[in-house]
Amino acid sequence: MRWPRYSSVMAAALVAGACAGEPPVEEPDPAAVPAAERYGGTAVVAGLGEIQTMNAFFSRDYMTDQFQAYVLFMTLLRYDDELQPEPYLARSWTVGPDSNEVVFELRDDVYWHDGTPTTAYDVAFTFDRVKDPAVPYPNRSSFDAWESAEVLGPHKVRFTLRPHADLLHGWTALPIMPRHILEGTPPEDLATHPFGTSEPVGNGPFRFVEHLPGDRWIFEANPDFPAELGGRPYLDRLVYRVVPNETTLFAELRSGGVDMYVRVAPVFVDRIEADPDLRLVAYPFPNYSFIAWNSRRPFFESASVRRALTMAIDRSEIVEVVRHGLATPAAGPVGAWHWAYDSARRPLAHAPDSAAAILESAGWRDADGDGVRERDGVRFSFDISTNESRERASIAELVQRYLAQVGVEARPRIREHQSVIADVTSPERRFDAFLLSWTQGLVLDERDQWACDRIGKPLQFTSYCNPELDAVMDSIPRATDRSAQEGLIRRYDTMLAADQPFTFLYVEKRADALRRRLQGASPDFRGELADVRSWWLFQP
Amino acid sequence: MIRYTVRRLLEAVPILIGIVTLIFLLLHLAPGDPATAYFNPNVSPEIIDRMRENLGLDRPLHEQYLRWLRSFFTGDFGYSFSQHRPVADVIRDALPNTLLLSAVSLVLIFVVGCAVGAVQAVRQYSALDNVTTFVSLFVYSMPGFWLGLMLILAFSSPAMPEFLRLPISGVTSIDYEFMGPIERIVDRVRHLVLPSFALGIASAAGVARYMRGSLLEVIGQDYIRTARAKGLSERRVILKHALRNALIPIVSLLGLYLPLLFGGSVVIEVVFSWPGMGRALYNAILARDYPVVMAASFLFGVLVLGANLLADLSYAVIDPRIRTD
Repeated sequence: MRWPRYSSVMAAALVAGACAGEPPVEEPDPAAVPAAERYGGTAVVAGLGEIQTMNAFFSRDYMTDQFQAYVLFMTLLRYDDELQPEPYLARSWTVGPDSNEVVFELRDDVYWHDGTPTTAYDVAFTFDRVKDPAVPYPNRSSFDAWESAEVLGPHKVRFTLRPHADLLHGWTALPIMPRHILEGTPPEDLATHPFGTSEPVGNGPFRFVEHLPGDRWIFEANPDFPAELGGRPYLDRLVYRVVPNETTLFAELRSGGVDMYVRVAPVFVDRIEADPDLRLVAYPFPNYSFIAWNSRRPFFESASVRRALTMAIDRSEIVEVVRHGLATPAAGPVGAWHWAYDSARRPLAHAPDSAAAILESAGWRDADGDGVRERDGVRFSFDISTNESRERASIAELVQRYLAQVGVEARPRIREHQSVIADVTSPERRFDAFLLSWTQGLVLDERDQWACDRIGKPLQFTSYCNPELDAVMDSIPRATDRSAQEGLIRRYDTMLAADQPFTFLYVEKRADALRRRLQGASPDFRGELADVRSWWLFQP
Repeated sequence: MIRYTVRRLLEAVPILIGIVTLIFLLLHLAPGDPATAYFNPNVSPEIIDRMRENLGLDRPLHEQYLRWLRSFFTGDFGYSFSQHRPVADVIRDALPNTLLLSAVSLVLIFVVGCAVGAVQAVRQYSALDNVTTFVSLFVYSMPGFWLGLMLILAFSSPAMPEFLRLPISGVTSIDYEFMGPIERIVDRVRHLVLPSFALGIASAAGVARYMRGSLLEVIGQDYIRTARAKGLSERRVILKHALRNALIPIVSLLGLYLPLLFGGSVVIEVVFSWPGMGRALYNAILARDYPVVMAASFLFGVLVLGANLLADLSYAVIDPRIRTD
């Protein structure tokens, strides 16, 4: 579904006409608009996916998380741009001498949108539900080391815990839920409470107005948002629209129906950059694409062969052709978004000749001259499964071409997403290799994917096992400060890069397209909406 | 007539049970389940298992089926896994949108189709006939989603004059809440134009072809010659004598086109961001949201069977030669 050529020509002609016909107008400067004049207006954010629920116990995707944490509710803490926790609903916190106790002092000027004050009881309630096994809160592992909550006063709460790294991380991601509304509901019935979809009550910078399922969520400014945190948002209203087709979404953005298109499809990049009304913001994002090699297959047993496969694949070209530059070839699982990322690290270079030599020395030779190597009567020929995304289908085809150049036959097998997932997570691992991408947590604990003792569990796709890596992964969460962690995380990264159980293809640069009238928005890895309180509309 | 209707309605019951049973089996045979939608490195497998348990997906298949059937017959459609709300609410929100879109398209299909077909028949082999034949074949062979995207691109283009601008997605404007009653109606109608056109125009072209053929056949009949011989004006001959008889076979097309409309709405609703049943069904299939898929397929089944019955009944009403008993 590519944009037809003529419409860009038409657009270009129009722009050219406008430039030629009129004298250049003095660009009005948004920075010159005083804060007091920034209030008002409705901003429309749009994406392909639906935001399903405002119930934080059941959040399951990135945009939903953002609307909960940044728009409707408040978290105790939030991250600054260096991934350090800073106060938000919690005014301050103290960590006990042995890191086995944390006391949060809450703000006393935060109210639920129905007028009830937000207190330490809400925090304790939220914590108790998160820990309750009957509630399938997806990020419960962030609170594994947190044991119990004790309310010390209306705005003071103490937690006991086991010391661990990134102590406070869970609290930057968990919106506090209103106890007075949800307490009466048994934990197993929380998922069906209408709070999530039709009557949420928050305490964040925006209040809930309406949810039209499949269409939009409407929020309005909360006039009582604490002045110390910036006070009432500039915008009168914030709307999230679902537009499930990317061409339609781009057309809406271009014609002004949408102010921000989140996670733009790479095919639109050039047209966005050429449009004077639009701007593109791109930033490293904790999502990487990979090919997982099933190490139970004879082809993928050895690390040197897997490295050779990676070297045969021209990842820079993939980034250019498929992502239109919106990605960086990956060295290992730690991307540029992470504070421990080593900018001196270089991914394996594209070197098809060396790759061929490695395969040759590993005993994979093309003796029968059919263009495909074999060893002990086994042809180096396998399937690469992937889902029906256009992007991944193109990557699979490129990979097929690169590998053919070194005498390896890869057959792309494109199927519906859930079917691929069912195969690759099955205990018997019904796949040779698969190509997907996924979003990592800001705190890297990926033992479910790599640890020897998780073989057979759903996320240990490759059945790869390296006891040395296990030891490193186990010590990362035990290291309680960042200087100790940094070395470990970097070792984790280099060890995986050396063994290549995955070919780490690239780390995504997430890109958002914004209309120029939307000011004050600077999306980064924390999300598009982290600074939504200070968005405003510039109407010269 | 009443007996016939009752018999048809009774016959529909086993068909509907067959439909939902088949869908249930197909759904559970397809790989994956609602919990695999949480495929994510940050969600531990234990949480996924807990989710399966909460949703009852760890029970044997026949047990899940019987449980679903039982609650279904007591009017409980269950609970949507992915939308976190009752399926009845999902349908309540989505069905009116789909019915509205389909109804408008249906009117378009028959009004435009019959009018064009009639003109073509009356002016057989004229330049007008040739041009409209070409255009209708062209439109007929265009996939709805492609036509939809082209309309979206055209109507969002800066080259489109302001007064021709039409909304390209959604059912209402962002400021709908703040509109007066008249403005609201206008807003809704404007939002309907492009999707109903994209949904209906291919079928309208089809109806035009049928209409042309049917009217030509009638015009060749003896009684038309008689009418002309009586000295009636050509206008009267066509409108009063020919057209009515030519319409009889067209009515049976209703039963044929309604299922097509509901099927087409799946794609059109995605392209035009129309929050209807088609899109709800599509998303539910991708998310393996079993209760929504079951309820939606049941409803589509009811609508299609109902449409067929309606077509057969109207056939009998229009053509006195046909007896239902």
